[in-house]
Amino acid sequence: MSALDSSATILASGVRLTVPLAFAACGEYLAERAGAMNISVEAMMLGAAFTSIATASATGSATVGLVVGVLTGLVVGFVHGNLSHRAQINSFVVGLVLNSLVLGLTSYLITTEQFSSHQVGAVSIPLLQDIPVIGKPLFSERWPAYLLILLVPLTWWLVERSRWGLELRAVGENPQAADVTGIKVNLRRRQALLWCGALAGLGGAYLAVGEVGSFNQNMTAGRGYIVIAAVIFGAWRLGRTLLGCCVFGLSDAMRLALPALGVTLNAQLLVAAPYLLALLAMVLFTTQHREPAALGRPFERGST
Amino acid sequence: MSAASLAAAGDPGRRLLARLRPGRGGWMTAGLTVVLVAVALGASALLLMLTGASPRASLSAIWTGSLANTTGWTTTLLNVAPLLLVAVGACICSSAGTFNIGQEGQVLIGGLAGAWVGLRLALPGPMLVVVVLIAAAVGGGAWAALSALMLRFRGVNVPVSTLLMTFLAIQLVTFAVSTPWGLQESAQGSSGIADAQSNPLPANAQLASFGQYPSLQPNAGLFIALVSAVGVALVLSRSRWGFRVRMVGLNPLTAKHAGVRVGALGGFTLALSGAFAGLAGGLLLATPVSTNRLQAGLSDNVGWDGLLVALVARNRPLAAIPVSFVFAVLRAGGDFLSATGVPSYLVDIVKALLVLAFVAPPVLVDLFRGRRGTTPQEAPAASVVPIERKAAV
Amino acid sequence: MTPTTSAVPLLELRGITKSYGAVTACDTVDLRVDAGEIHGLLGENGAGKSSLMKVLLGLVRRDSGTVLVRGEAVALDSPQEAAELGIGMVHQHFSLINGLTVWENVALGDIGKVNKQAICADIHKVSARYGLPIAPEARVGSLSAGERQRVEVVKCLRRDPQILILDEPTSVLTQAESEELFTVLGRVVQDEGRAVILISHKLAEIAQATDRVTVLRRGRVAFRAVTAETTPQLLAERMVGRGVSLGEEGAALGLLPAQKAPAGEGGAHGRQHPVLCLAGLTVEQGGVRVLEGVDLTVGAGEIVALYGVEGNGQAALGEVLAGLIPPTAGRIEVAGSRVDVTRPGALAKAGLGIVPEDRHQSGVVLDMSVAENLTMKSLDKVSGRFLLRRGVMLAEARRLAEEFNIVAPSLDAPVRSLSGGNQQRVVLARELSRDTRILVAAQPTHGLDVGAIEDMYSRLRKAAAEGVGVLLISTEFEEVMALATRIAVISSGRITGVLPVSEATSERLGMLVGGEAA
Repeated sequence: MSALDSSATILASGVRLTVPLAFAACGEYLAERAGAMNISVEAMMLGAAFTSIATASATGSATVGLVVGVLTGLVVGFVHGNLSHRAQINSFVVGLVLNSLVLGLTSYLITTEQFSSHQVGAVSIPLLQDIPVIGKPLFSERWPAYLLILLVPLTWWLVERSRWGLELRAVGENPQAADVTGIKVNLRRRQALLWCGALAGLGGAYLAVGEVGSFNQNMTAGRGYIVIAAVIFGAWRLGRTLLGCCVFGLSDAMRLALPALGVTLNAQLLVAAPYLLALLAMVLFTTQHREPAALGRPFERGST
Repeated sequence: MSAASLAAAGDPGRRLLARLRPGRGGWMTAGLTVVLVAVALGASALLLMLTGASPRASLSAIWTGSLANTTGWTTTLLNVAPLLLVAVGACICSSAGTFNIGQEGQVLIGGLAGAWVGLRLALPGPMLVVVVLIAAAVGGGAWAALSALMLRFRGVNVPVSTLLMTFLAIQLVTFAVSTPWGLQESAQGSSGIADAQSNPLPANAQLASFGQYPSLQPNAGLFIALVSAVGVALVLSRSRWGFRVRMVGLNPLTAKHAGVRVGALGGFTLALSGAFAGLAGGLLLATPVSTNRLQAGLSDNVGWDGLLVALVARNRPLAAIPVSFVFAVLRAGGDFLSATGVPSYLVDIVKALLVLAFVAPPVLVDLFRGRRGTTPQEAPAASVVPIERKAAV
Repeated sequence: MTPTTSAVPLLELRGITKSYGAVTACDTVDLRVDAGEIHGLLGENGAGKSSLMKVLLGLVRRDSGTVLVRGEAVALDSPQEAAELGIGMVHQHFSLINGLTVWENVALGDIGKVNKQAICADIHKVSARYGLPIAPEARVGSLSAGERQRVEVVKCLRRDPQILILDEPTSVLTQAESEELFTVLGRVVQDEGRAVILISHKLAEIAQATDRVTVLRRGRVAFRAVTAETTPQLLAERMVGRGVSLGEEGAALGLLPAQKAPAGEGGAHGRQHPVLCLAGLTVEQGGVRVLEGVDLTVGAGEIVALYGVEGNGQAALGEVLAGLIPPTAGRIEVAGSRVDVTRPGALAKAGLGIVPEDRHQSGVVLDMSVAENLTMKSLDKVSGRFLLRRGVMLAEARRLAEEFNIVAPSLDAPVRSLSGGNQQRVVLARELSRDTRILVAAQPTHGLDVGAIEDMYSRLRKAAAEGVGVLLISTEFEEVMALATRIAVISSGRITGVLPVSEATSERLGMLVGGEAA
């Protein structure tokens, strides 16, 4: 195998591993800008991956599975939002419980039930896919991957340009002031979590009915946490967050591909890379104060 | 305003930790908890029926595996010890207002440190097990201390850093047990295959169990855990140090006024909670609850479950004793359950639902009673209107 | 009393009632505001002013009553609806978001598409018309208190409100800035026919700036008058609900004491025995010098006031003296010996007691018991090396509770269950219980009702009479005049002058507050 071929292989696999992260990262980014820190993004992805396959298996349509996956993410986001931004239960507690609940449920059901394989179709973009090396990896994907082209700018526009996004940012920076201005703080956060749930659900469903075509136990294997690491690594900026997803996706691809190429690079280090980089980013760049000021801080009327 | 932001900047979990503490609306909370536990169990039973299994048979399997006979009791009690230790540690740092969610990693690092010492030091007799446990506690404590340092010097959010450190810990242990010059086991026999695990620890790195099969065989680890729980409960409620810890947890600014080194104390409690988790990791190696080898799967969710125990016990070490027992029953029973054809994942679902059933009621009661009238900041001073006061302060 | 106006009033509230649980914040309140007037809303803390305004702004829903705008009944269910009706508010605290730019802050609370160009143009237009220059692209976090106030006012005026509500607008402003604000308000009502509701607990301000005044007490309207036809003393009596003398109580209400309080024998005596000496105290925060070379001496038995407008370094000084932040440079001496402030608790050990500015944030632990709060700074007294001695703790707490008249359900009750005045007494009792040589009281009467304020005054005087030096950090002119023997004025982090109270006049202090030598 030539060096070009193998880099194309790694690139292709890197892109495939990046896409689900990128979907979920768009959602998590928006939620964190609103001050909602939800580690349940793992539950959103895992739950969506499972229901998408289960639905596809029942209906025979991978596309319907994809839609149900998005709905599953929405449901998890709805539950998380109501528990932590209505009932005011600690967001990390809610996240831990939801993650373990969804992991338990999906693991249980995948053992007791049988599901058939389903995968959405691939779309190759004419001409572009013929570009050497990068053509195939970038322009011959399962069709939902191209939704990113729409969803990334949409997320950016929502946060930075829409009134809703302005209010989200206000809520993430100073919920008390936002409240006085007449913004319903916890409602905005719940809405942000719905967006997060939908996109994380899309990411999880894409993993199942897009890339793999089936579901296995703990399929997301901590990708939700990697998404959180990406947002931190990206210092709460969308562009850098997506860059983080690419880096993490590629490092995962390298971990899978390098042994076959006879290159020895420490596998554990590559698995640990996202977490290590996120921690380093937090330790090294805290002085920039990019973090939304009220991130992870619950809001209640009358509290300072 | 500056004072307010300083207080809030300490830790985002602080206010909600305060909410998780015992208190308001006792009866309503208790009643609601009972209802929600029933709902949780009902939902689990429904799931079983929908998937063609029998709830009654499953319940009986869990019972058989955990409480029906002395073997079951022995297994259950073996499971209590590490869970309780993790939970006790979580109670300490939560009391100081620091929210550690990285126990799973701290358990693993504790196991790594313990295994390293146990396999590399040839100490005579029971000294070895003591050194293994101490090393485990130090290892877990040091791992948590890294998060404490990140908070202290770079202001890194503790829940986030402890969470991320967990994934590093998993990879570090995986690396250690799959590296020949690390702790990987010696190649087996002629095939020369070595799995990703360490050699078994020597026999004198095991804690003593009492009693003979078939009677109950309580392990010394259980006593370590129980003594820790009672000791920590006493220290928190009765000692000067515990007084300071509670002060820091409830109002760090006032504590600072009173001359407490808030940052140092908070960091220390975080390290201490890591040390208890690490000790739990040591127990996993030194008691027959799992294999006495270091593996990446050694912790087997003990860290997560122990944290959940502390949440259900609302950060009271004594309450953690019965709660950890319930969780241990589920763990012990879950293993037996899988033998009957029902996936043991069922108990994970039950556990998660139980935690929700215990965590939700106090906040729901608050919500029902109309939080606005009695927000914490505004004392219900006679004839003084809550909202009005805020504007003037 | 109310002058009859032939036209339909711009705003009329009839029988507004609002309860929070068992507490009735507003009880059948009637209020009538006409176009072209500044209407004062006066009341003690907790009288219901803010609740009434929250109803008016659609932030909370009233339980009963009618709101009429230009004679038409309105629902007022949301802040947006209030805005559409032309009701706007300039908030005092918590309403601008530091992480956003000025124009983004101004845009908050609008509805519909965000149009940056249009908003910036509006800002320029409004700031030009009223002489309130601000840069739309600036981040709010980088603005001074006065500039933020300007942003607030511009944000409000941009919506072209018919009714403008200002909540305690002058507490962060210098005298000059306050006058500038009232000039703008004057134009707003006279030239443009809008109405202004000015919420304040400062009698002087109400008397000076308003056309008519409504006094609230315990959620009810206690008094209505044309401002020119009443006197500050009458307003004070209606606000408190009983007669007030112009001495102590008058000061508590923001009236100048008729006769100066006796200077106390501490004056001369104290100079010889300084119990607190600050020399060249400098504090930098985020590259900004919030305190610059502060020199100040407090003698035993003396009450020295540090007077100034909020946000001129008092908070930093309070934090330094509480041991929360170390000074960048300078020296602190307590009772003649230098204190190493980097050691936690060193100031407290040296004999410095502090009543911090915000007792909820840093004075008490609301969820710990009264006994624990009373003894938390003298753990040596109530514990052995390792264990607490509960009996000793309770006995000590009982002694203090009796001495300071602390009314509590029990010593084991959480401090949360106490009234504001009693919480403040807990702080004072604790701080004076430990061989205290110098007591620092930062805004000790903020948020207290009149009775509690008087009690606080007499206790501060008593402490001074017993030989404790008192440093009173206050923004209230009348309070300073009533209590202090000497007044030091702080402006932009510097002491601009120190006057004995006999030489202090509002003009001289005003100039010093503005940063000019008097």
